[in-house]
Amino acid sequence: MNTGIVQGGWEFVVAAYALTGTAFLVYGISLWTRLRREQK
Amino acid sequence: MVQRSRVPYLWLALGVACLLFGSYQGLFVAPAEQYMGDVQRIMYVHVPTAWNWMLAVIFSFIVAIGFLFTNDYKWDARLEAGLEVSVLLAFLLCCQGSIWAKPTWGVWWDWDPRLTSTAVLLFSMLGILALRRFVEDAPRRAIWSAVATIIASVDLPIVYMSVKWWNSLHQQQSTPQTVASAFHLPLRVNALGILFLMIGFLMLRTRLAALRLEHELAAPPLYAHEEAGELA
Repeated sequence: MNTGIVQGGWEFVVAAYALTGTAFLVYGISLWTRLRREQK
Repeated sequence: MVQRSRVPYLWLALGVACLLFGSYQGLFVAPAEQYMGDVQRIMYVHVPTAWNWMLAVIFSFIVAIGFLFTNDYKWDARLEAGLEVSVLLAFLLCCQGSIWAKPTWGVWWDWDPRLTSTAVLLFSMLGILALRRFVEDAPRRAIWSAVATIIASVDLPIVYMSVKWWNSLHQQQSTPQTVASAFHLPLRVNALGILFLMIGFLMLRTRLAALRLEHELAAPPLYAHEEAGELA
């Protein structure tokens, strides 16, 4: 039955948080790597 | 000489701590929203990303003006950092929005004014970063990218006001009065977390850009040799 209320959706929540965490982590690692290379 | 302070890493650590606490609150402590259910928990990362993305664009705009007024390459290094962090946050913003749109709107993407104007700014800033790669002459690169950033930033007020000016699928801005108090804590803590991460990233990226500029603007060996010969 269509209640107008979004049911479930945890997979979308997990995807959004995982993507956010991964993006920050990957960018942080990329920055650290590029800085180390430039400082040599 | 570019300094190697540990301060950016402290900002990053503080940002990670805030994000972990805020996300725990958002995922497990805050109640599900009445109509959107658990999907609304995406807002605890999406909205703080949007706020901080706007701050990153404003930062880029200010440092672009700073360069044009001072002609000092410190501002150019800050601009490069601001552009890259803006692109990162805009990309995240579009992806999070897409993930939220699918279960609530029924589509991953819609060419509505808010989404379209955000995408325009994302690709404008990507274009300016590409421009910086292609122009080898440092003074020309700095001036061109500063001017292009100022022009691109005109889109930011359009992004902000788009939900009021046009009939948009995207909801209008919320205020503390229109959001239940149970949702305030994760929103605010995650906003601080992303802000602290952004400050750390901006400081490190500025350092990287300054180091590159330092190497680039240093006199080449041949020139240095000729200069030494002239002085002797």
